[in-house]
This record gives sequence, structure tokens and C-alpha cells, in this order.
Amino acid sequence: MEKRIKIVLLALAVRLAIAPFFMHAGDVGTIYESSAIALQGGNLYDFVYGKTLQMQQATGLPVFFEGYAYHPLLIYFFVPFYWLFTLIAGPYSVMIDGHYPSLPVLVYPWTPILLLMLKIPIILADVAVVYILAGIDTRKAEIYALCPYVVFISVVWGMFDAIVAVFLLTSYLTFSRNSLFSGILYGLSLMKLYTIVLLPLFVIRLFGKWKDLLQFMGGLTLTLLPVAYFLIVSPASIWNVLVTFQGTRVMGGVNLYNFIWVVQDLRFDLDISIIPSILLLVSIVLLIPKFGRKGPLLEAILAFMLASFLFGKVLNEQFLVSIFPLILLCKKCDSRLWIAPFAFIFLRSPFYYFALPILWASPVFYSYYLQADVVWRQLQAVGYLQVPMYAVGIAFSLLILWNLLRILDATSVQAVGGRGQTVGFMRRLIRVRILLGSRRHRFVP
Amino acid sequence: MKVKSLVTVFFAVYIISLSFVPLVHDALLAKNAWLGYGTGAYAFQNQNYFVLFNDPYDGSSKPHVQMNPDFAPNDRIPIIEFSDWTSWVDGFNFFNDFNVTMRPNQRTLDVTYSRPGILLHKFLTATPDNITVELVSDKEFTAHLELWRWVMTSVNGLSIKDAPKPMQIPTTTQIEFTFQDYRLQSEGTGRITLSRVPVQIMIWPYENGFNKITIDFVNTEMSLTVSGSMTPVGRTYPTWNYSDLPYVLPVVAVLVVAIYLLVDKYGKTNKDRASRARS
Repeated sequence: MEKRIKIVLLALAVRLAIAPFFMHAGDVGTIYESSAIALQGGNLYDFVYGKTLQMQQATGLPVFFEGYAYHPLLIYFFVPFYWLFTLIAGPYSVMIDGHYPSLPVLVYPWTPILLLMLKIPIILADVAVVYILAGIDTRKAEIYALCPYVVFISVVWGMFDAIVAVFLLTSYLTFSRNSLFSGILYGLSLMKLYTIVLLPLFVIRLFGKWKDLLQFMGGLTLTLLPVAYFLIVSPASIWNVLVTFQGTRVMGGVNLYNFIWVVQDLRFDLDISIIPSILLLVSIVLLIPKFGRKGPLLEAILAFMLASFLFGKVLNEQFLVSIFPLILLCKKCDSRLWIAPFAFIFLRSPFYYFALPILWASPVFYSYYLQADVVWRQLQAVGYLQVPMYAVGIAFSLLILWNLLRILDATSVQAVGGRGQTVGFMRRLIRVRILLGSRRHRFVP
Repeated sequence: MKVKSLVTVFFAVYIISLSFVPLVHDALLAKNAWLGYGTGAYAFQNQNYFVLFNDPYDGSSKPHVQMNPDFAPNDRIPIIEFSDWTSWVDGFNFFNDFNVTMRPNQRTLDVTYSRPGILLHKFLTATPDNITVELVSDKEFTAHLELWRWVMTSVNGLSIKDAPKPMQIPTTTQIEFTFQDYRLQSEGTGRITLSRVPVQIMIWPYENGFNKITIDFVNTEMSLTVSGSMTPVGRTYPTWNYSDLPYVLPVVAVLVVAIYLLVDKYGKTNKDRASRARS
């Protein structure tokens, strides 16, 4: 069997074996709840906005309901599989609640089947990345296929950053060949909004190549039509969910900003969260002249994304998956970058939280859960976990900085090399002209 | 200086500067005001007390009154916790049967419980000497309140020996209880002063003390003023507490940044080693 197929099958087998038994209750619960609403023809943004208004009314604080806050198209990757599940299990809810701080009620034997079905789009995205990488370098495909971090995020957590990864990777690979297709794929990578920082890069790269730019923007616009639809039918809801919520979130995550979790003052936290946003804007503006028109596209994309990870105020554990295939392709980047967010997962959430589908299956396991949870909550309450979380957050930020500086350094060398080549070419040209001139001079009567 | 060095220095300074934010916030902004956080919880800190009023999705700590002992000012020792899970008004559960809204003023948190036919306010007022929880309605209501602490060694002079089973104690406006804190090697006293004599007060034994005081009353209003004090029994040692974190984070930041700078300067990458080995 061809090695490429072997790696793909191995990646698929590992994921299928794990998928039914684990989940992040909050995130998988959101996809489950949103799939059900979408299948019934409901408006997801109205639902989330309504919950947010309830919370704000109750608390008098600018808090947000953390539900479906993604591109409208995303849910349609999951809806067909949810629909298939309802054909098997019927229309009744098999996962009740689960939004933080509640724990879900799970109905057996349907929960493992639901988890498998809802993770199929993520698994397919992962497998597609492995297949594409294997076509370039089988060693890199192996790393992606078996990387504990990627496997954990996709099939233990149930987060769909692999979908962003496959679209970003294919958008990069098709950029120089088919601008329309690249634009569509880039638009689809906006399923999670953080790839939006790449838009200025793509636009500036194509600036002057008007046909390509038009095609790219046409492809992108095509994917944004559902957003336009919701902006017409429920403008306040989609604006609140996609712009206000995402734009005014409190900083934190696997980054140097998670110290803010210690500061229990939401209004202050929101005010100070403006600092990284300003720096993100500045860093993008500084990167544009460096990478906008020159340097390899791969390094340029990674520089923009790493800068957004460095200065973007929210960096969740799973975000790195989206650029992990590109990191593997980049010779200047260290692919071991995944270790920090992987470690962070276990400091922020106890492992048993991901094993709820197993632990909820038996009263014996449930009692283990309760015992473990008492210990975990004690550790959390006294702040023992906050210290390593902060250390890992800073370490990850510094590692991102290190990788970014390597990319900048490498492209500077290339630029200098390029300029040197240009200078050499100019010198040769002058020499030829002098020679021609002297010949002409010689042959002119 | 090279761009790389400049960026690294900027970033190191940036990380270390930001690590002081919690400390600056604690010192300048966090005192004497109800501050909201998380999914809608509120907290108040003054020189003597820390009060938590939990978010609308949790029925515990409504409120939870804690004190900062003089001899360990960063420590938070629980005095008493009001529970909405286990308290009722006119037969309706505070947590499950009411719509709740919270609005803070400088020193008072106004929590409104509403349902058809009943509108009740729970006002939480903090002063340096005590914390007052006041229940007010425009019409008379029957209330059953449950106040929790693990555990009280005595309540109004009664120990577990005097009350091995749940027991009704003489109604009064003063409830005084004692407790021990093994971590701080200290003994504490908590006081609850009621604005009116209730219908019934009961104490509930648990292990070697009491873990619950229940108060039943019928009125249009009732205030419960909570205060506490602690005295060390033996020699007290410094202990770790959540409120120490703002002091620790800058140390963590400096350490991690220093390690990065050292590794960046003196460390070798795998590729460096490989190329040296080849050469």
C-alpha cells in the first residue's frame, strides 16, 4: 500500500477510536445545540444574543453568553451528521445543557454515537490535512497525524480548528495558481474569525494584479454571503455575537495575558484588554511593508498569524491547530511549539472533564469524578494552578516570539540576498553596457 | 542595536510590566467597591472583610462572608455562607423559583428576587466593621434562611455535646458562634445580629460541631449583620492564599523571561548542533 494512504488510514483509525468517548462538554454542547436549532430553521444569532441580553439584564454586567459565535456556514458542516444522528436516535435531546458552569445530562447509549457523528467533519478535515501534507512530505504528515496535541483538540476536545487548518492550508497552496479558489478557501478558513488578520496580506500581495485580486475577493465574497444575509435579517444579533463579543472579550488564554484571570473586576479587565488590541494593529501595520509584497507567502502567512497570536488578546488552547500544517511546512519554525498549549489544557481543565461520557456511564465512575473534582476545585480555589498557567502562557508567547523572529530574520537574509543579487545583476548590466558602448564607439565611423 | 534585540527587549519589558497589573489593581482599585466578574458574580473587599455574591447560575455563596485576620491580612477565613439553594420565601426556593437581578452601588449590592406576587430585595452593605444582609419586601413574607459553615464548634454557648441532634435554640437577636482554623492555628468568633427576633432558630450538628444555622421569620424586612474576629492560639506561620497571587505573578514573569533570555543567548538549537556535528 502506498505510504501516503497508510498514514491517512492510521490518522483516521486513531481518531475514530477516540472520538466516541471524550468531549469538552461546553464546546461540543454548543455544536449539538446549534445543529439542532439550525436543522429546525432557527436563527442561531438571535438565540445567542437573546441569552446574552438575559445575562446582562440579570447581572448588570457586560457579560456574554458563550454560544455559537462563528461564521454562519460552519454549522452546516455539522448539521448533516446531526441529521443522520436523529435518524438513528430520534429527535429527543441526548445531551442536556452543559454550558459553563453546568455539567451536562447525558443519555445512553446515544451519547457516544452523537459524539462520533459530530466529530466526523473534524476528523475528515484532519485526514484531509494529513493527505495533503503526505503529498508534500510524508514525515510531516506523520507528525500531524499522530501529534498528541492535534489528536487531543480534534477528537478528545471536539474542537474544529482542523477545519480552519485545512482551508488555510489549501488557500495557501492554491494562492499562486487559482485566485478564485484560493479566495473561496480563505473565506472558508474564517469559520473561526482569527484568520481575518491575513486579509490585508492577501490583498496587498495581489495589489496591481487586478484580475487575480478581483477573483480572490470574488471567492471570498461568495463565502461571506451568509453573513450578509444575517446582517439583513437580524443585524443586531449577528453584530453583537460576531463583532461585539469577539471584539470586546476579556484577554487571556495560553498567553502572557492570562494574569487577568486573577483580577476579578470585569469592567477593568475589559478596559485593559484594549492594550493587546492596539499592539496587534501596530504589529500588522509593521508587518505589511515587510511581507506585503515580498518574501515567501508561507513565511508571510505565518508571520501574520504568529503576530496575531502574540498580540491578539485571546489565544485559546486549540488555535495553534489552524496553522500547525503551515508550521510543519516552514523550515524556520519549530514544530514543537504545540507542547505549551497541550500542557496548558491540563492546567486549565482537569482531564476527567473531557472523560465525562465515560464517567457518566456508571455510578462508580461518577463517584470517582466527584472525588477528583473536590481535589481539583481545592487546587483551583487557592490559586495553585494559576501560577503554572501563567508561566506556560508567558513561555508560549515567548516561543511564538522566537519563531516570529526567526521568520523575520530569515526573510531579512533572503531580502538582503535578493538585493545583493539585484546589485550583482545591475553591475553585470552596466558592464555589458560599457562593453557595448565601447564597441559601438569602436565601430562608429 | 539589532531589530531582533530591540523586539526582544520590548517584549521582555512588556511582559514584566503587565505582570504588575493585578498588584496595581489590588492596591488602587479593588478596595471598597462591589466589583463584578466572571459570569456575573460580585465581590467586595475592604480592610477587614471579603464578601462574595455568586453568579446567577450558582445558588451557593449568596453571599459568602469571609474575614481577613489582622495577623494574616491576605488570608480569607470563611465566617458564614448564605445559601439560595436551601433558603425559601413563602415556600418558593430563592434559587430555583425567582428571577434575579443584581445592581451594585458603591457599598451596597441590590439583589432583586421577583416572581408573580412577590418582589423581594436582598441588600448587601459592607462597612469596615461588618457586613449587613437585609431582606426587604413591600408585603409580609415567610422566610426560611439557611446559613452554613464547616464547622462551628459552638453556637450561643452550645457544643455538639449539648446538641447531638438538630435542635431549636432560644430565639434571640444575637447569634454567636465559634470556629477553629487549623491552617492558621487560630480560633475565631462569628456574630450575627438580627434586626428582629425570629420565629425559630435551629442548629444542625455535623461531625464535631455544627454546620448550619436555620432562621425562620415572618416580616416585611429583616437584617442580619455579620461580623467576626480571630485570635491566634499558637505561633502562626505564613500560609499561601489566592490573594497572594498578585505578588507572585511578577516573580513568575521575571523568571520565565530570564530563562528565555538566557536560552536565547547561550542555548543551541538542534539545527546548530547538527550543523556543528557535520562540520
